[in-house]
Amino acid sequence: MKTYLIDDLQILQLHLSHYFQFNQVIKNSDGQPNWQQLLPNEIKPLIDEKPQTSAKGFFFAEQENLLIFNGEFFQETLPTPKAFVLFGMQSCDLTAIHYQDQFFKDDPYYQARRQQCLLVGLDCITPCKNGFCPTVNAGPGVRDNYADLILHPLGDQQWLVIEQSDKGVQAIKGLRLKEARSNALTKREVNLTHCEQLFPDDSYITQGIKKINAGNIPNTFWQKVAIQCLGCSGCTTLCPTCSCYGTRTLKQDNNHFSQQRFWDSCLYEGFQREASFNNPSVDAGSRVHRFWQHKFGDAYFTDFSRYGCVGCGRCEETCPGVIGVHSVMKRIEQENLDA
Amino acid sequence: MLNHIPDSIELVDYVDDGEQARHYRFRILPSNKGNIEKYQLQPSQQHHWQYNWGKVQPGQFFMLNVPSLGEAPFTFTEAPNKQGEFRAFIRKMGQVTSQLFTMQPGDILGARGPFGRGWPLNTTSSNNNTLVVAGGCGLAPLVTLIDNFVNRLIAQRAISVQTNQESIQEEKQQLVLIYGARNKGAQLLTPERARWHEHIKIFNTLDEYEENKSATTVQGSPLTVLPKALGFFTSPPTIAMLCGPEIMMKSVATSLTEYGLASNTIFLALERRMHCAVGLCGHCYINNQYVCKSGPTFSWQEYQELINISDFSTNFSSN
Repeated sequence: MKTYLIDDLQILQLHLSHYFQFNQVIKNSDGQPNWQQLLPNEIKPLIDEKPQTSAKGFFFAEQENLLIFNGEFFQETLPTPKAFVLFGMQSCDLTAIHYQDQFFKDDPYYQARRQQCLLVGLDCITPCKNGFCPTVNAGPGVRDNYADLILHPLGDQQWLVIEQSDKGVQAIKGLRLKEARSNALTKREVNLTHCEQLFPDDSYITQGIKKINAGNIPNTFWQKVAIQCLGCSGCTTLCPTCSCYGTRTLKQDNNHFSQQRFWDSCLYEGFQREASFNNPSVDAGSRVHRFWQHKFGDAYFTDFSRYGCVGCGRCEETCPGVIGVHSVMKRIEQENLDA
Repeated sequence: MLNHIPDSIELVDYVDDGEQARHYRFRILPSNKGNIEKYQLQPSQQHHWQYNWGKVQPGQFFMLNVPSLGEAPFTFTEAPNKQGEFRAFIRKMGQVTSQLFTMQPGDILGARGPFGRGWPLNTTSSNNNTLVVAGGCGLAPLVTLIDNFVNRLIAQRAISVQTNQESIQEEKQQLVLIYGARNKGAQLLTPERARWHEHIKIFNTLDEYEENKSATTVQGSPLTVLPKALGFFTSPPTIAMLCGPEIMMKSVATSLTEYGLASNTIFLALERRMHCAVGLCGHCYINNQYVCKSGPTFSWQEYQELINISDFSTNFSSN
């Protein structure tokens, strides 16, 4: 695997756009950065802003058909996407994809999309608003092997292009890039370390994680927090590692039936409600508690070798009830509990 | 890769039993060949099924797909035979079952399975005295287990008759069933209970029961007759299997541990909403576990560990 130096990123963008359906974060008309598919003639300079929504929908679709019943048989309806590139993805979202890759490793719909994707990572050299990726080991630099290629900004329009996988090597073959000097990766380390130091103090998050796992936060705390949960699903929709889904059946024109799955939210009151109306998580406090347990519980750490939270801070930005990660962790801190 | 695609099944027939409940008989149909090739499955040459329907353990479940409505989990009351016929006891409760109740013999549905961890079989096979406590529909997941036990008793008796041994009225191995229901109309699985009646001891309890005519039925909950049922054993039970409302299982399990049963010899089968049955959709969570994969059967010890970590013990819904 080699590291190259490039002083015109557009060359790389155009090259990839010839071989892949090209997706990059751009600002929409409302000024919000979001992932968008771009034709080669629409390609814009790379921006380093965190997209409003993560890229999870590229693999775990917001809604998709699982099967069709033709009156006799149930037939699988696998997606058949063209090869596509997600160009310039930050480390938090790449870490989430790495997490989802494990969770959905045997899911044919997820994998049909995932295998068609080239991930081009982007190192962050300045902290983003509400982000705390270093605290949960998810950034700011792209982790080894979480992307096929990594871009690192050196300033003055200069970029490092770091090969991470055979897929990445193949993707830039024929571009005749200039190999970077041996000290280039050291420069990257310096930049990333510097960036980490710029993050504000968030020891309340580390302390909060300890307290959540010590199990001594009383139910009454979660019930108080849950008063502010509107059950809007904003957090679970934007969280790049949330993956719960429901299923529904739709009637087709020809009297066939399709079964769909769609993003669901464990914070909905009816998420666990059974046909009998028995509901194991009828208490809003238990639902909110479980959400944070899922993001920071040690039991999940054992399964995934990391926490379910990648420190993107989107829940804080979106929650209308002000119980996103920073708000909740600060309230846990104020509870004055023993860790 | 996981397979989310059901095998087609045919509704063979059904028999009504109790309030809004039926015994259904289904037959698994040969699978669409495309699915078998895609997943490189090795179906039995004879049947071309996608799933391993020949290996169903008591307490496991399947996802029934009612094509116009969707899927829900149900237990087998009779595992698939060589022809692919199996039975399930189903109560009309939500949308899926309401639609099922409009379907007629010959109609095509779907099934995926078997899923989950059933009852611990090795512990029921030999030298164990077994206490079974079921509430309402919770008896359904226990049917194949009790059937296996009763069939073994019948076989043993036949052998003892053939070999002219003394009648083994007092078998070393015993099974006692406590069956609780809200009222008479909510007592389900009538044919099964009639079949077992002469082979195992059954204590019935009814929440709403005013006459006290029957010697085998008392007013109350399974807890009411627990001491009596435990006293019926010639030597104390070594294993207990519980299925019913979670609150009932919790109180019975608590009493049984007070009685001296170890918490790893008491087993509970949990009910949870499920959409996928393969550990992905998230609906059936209990702490960090999914009931569809780690359960539906948990030992009381495992269950308490899960509940304690998540600290949901005070949050049970009573309806």
